[in-house]
Amino acid sequence: MTVPKDTALEAINDARALLDALVVSEWREMHVVSGDSEIFLARKGGGENPMRRSSAPLNAAAPPVPVPAASRAEMAVKVPHVATLVSALTVGTQVSAGQTVATLRVLGDESLLAATVSGTVVALDAKPGDLLDYDTPVVRIAEDA
Amino acid sequence: MAIKRLFVANRGEIALRIVRAAQALGIETVVAVSDADRDTAAARLADRAIVLGPAAASKSYLDPRLIVHAAKESGCDGLHPGYGFLSERAILPRLCAEYGIAFVGPEPDVIDELGDKLRARAMAKAAGVPLVPGSDCVATAADARREGDRIGYPVLLKASAGGGGRGMVIANNGDEAEAGFHRASAEAVAAFGDGTLFMERFVPLARHVEVQLMGDGRGTVVHFGERDCSVQRRYQKLIEEAPCAAMPDHLRAQLHQSAVNLAASVNYRNAGTAEFLYDVKREEFYFIEVNARIQVEHPVSEMISGFDLVQEQIRIAGGAPLSIAQKDVVLSGHAIECRINAEDVYRDFLPSPGRITRWEPPVGPGIRLDSHMSTGAMIPPFYDSMVGKLIVHGTDRSDAIARLANAIDALVVEGVPTTLELHRAIIAHPDFVANRIHTRWLEQVFLPGFGKKAA
Repeated sequence: MTVPKDTALEAINDARALLDALVVSEWREMHVVSGDSEIFLARKGGGENPMRRSSAPLNAAAPPVPVPAASRAEMAVKVPHVATLVSALTVGTQVSAGQTVATLRVLGDESLLAATVSGTVVALDAKPGDLLDYDTPVVRIAEDA
Repeated sequence: MAIKRLFVANRGEIALRIVRAAQALGIETVVAVSDADRDTAAARLADRAIVLGPAAASKSYLDPRLIVHAAKESGCDGLHPGYGFLSERAILPRLCAEYGIAFVGPEPDVIDELGDKLRARAMAKAAGVPLVPGSDCVATAADARREGDRIGYPVLLKASAGGGGRGMVIANNGDEAEAGFHRASAEAVAAFGDGTLFMERFVPLARHVEVQLMGDGRGTVVHFGERDCSVQRRYQKLIEEAPCAAMPDHLRAQLHQSAVNLAASVNYRNAGTAEFLYDVKREEFYFIEVNARIQVEHPVSEMISGFDLVQEQIRIAGGAPLSIAQKDVVLSGHAIECRINAEDVYRDFLPSPGRITRWEPPVGPGIRLDSHMSTGAMIPPFYDSMVGKLIVHGTDRSDAIARLANAIDALVVEGVPTTLELHRAIIAHPDFVANRIHTRWLEQVFLPGFGKKAA
């Protein structure tokens, strides 16, 4: 079986992982081209960024910044690594950013999952006892207007 | 109790190899993947795949608590660590034991003992396994000459406090040993503040040979012959063969017995490999270390013995006795494996991950390809760049070389540069054909010429 991929944080995670790989390696720089994405990382004194050479001039118009929809945005709180869900807040609970929304367990250790925004819990995507893959949503929070 | 559901804590070709071995034994499989490996051959073939964490190995394949948690919660009663990653870290079998999961490998204490080079050497010595002849501390130039005469030249004078080659001198005779003592001792004082030296025999023409072992944990150990892995670059093996055709039969028998004695002396359980340095000129071998896992190059031993070592690993971990007795192990023919990496050999072996756009494996008698690749498959940049292992079995070494040449020509890989062309050139080289190679041959003899011709 294959596991469906959530692409939301993929680019950031890829960049983090590549940075980790660069740090532990003896390489001075790293240039990865995959499909339509490209990333360049270098240590101090590493090579010139080849993307800078070919990219548009710096004073070109900035790309449009996505504007949040007028409706209340919904944020999913996801697990940062494989874990078993111990408990989660119920639908309808008001939360503020930083507040615990779920408790996770890995072997004997419990850890807390915090809300990233203030709002209302509108959905639960998992139930206590579930073994959750990395990056699986646990609760959804409708952000306060 | 026989394992019913096996957790595979690895990736790439070995994860796929383990899934297939388990399935052949009627065992369910759960494969651990990182975010970057969700859509891989092992994940597709397994009954279940669990995403441990993000692509970075430190947050996925190298986190023993996440691995054992996923194994336990997915109902697995066995765990195979593969090679690399956590395969030789005692923490993994310790956690497995704590949570009632059978670890496919040795006891954690044995892993710790063998992982400590000094303790491993002491164990080898106690089991009567030859070590590189050497001295205790050498205090004066006269001592250096006496010890050099006793050990036999050439010798290496090394700083006790040292490392990285500093304070290291090669001496070819007694005069050089005396002169070398003064130089090495002065260098050692300058570099480490300690001029204490010791001496060791220097082997200019060495082969890397290793013996494949399987133990039941109760003192019975079976060997599957030796492998010759002398084609190396920066201590990484590129080509492995079985048997070591350059070794005379009487020495081969001693080598096997030494390896078996060492493993039996610690009641070794599951698959392991005893590595030796073979001094071709002197016809002597010296213990290096034991690798307490299944190795990348295990297929060449399978090809000449006809046994499936990974299946046997899984059976033993489930509590079964060895299904193979030494008298059942009949070695025949010659096998060669080349490790195909996605690397640009013309740019200093630069790892070149990417997507495979065309993949056509060779077919034919005596050809085996252990790979997780296919057309459209991805080699992510976060891990090693191995694309697969091409293995051939022939009636003898020259037959195996001929088959390998044909198999390399028939294997089509497009989308990323690979080391295939390099392998094709190595096995056509007169030194390789005549079996005149040693562990530094590739770097000293072959690669300088290869770069020039190719440019």
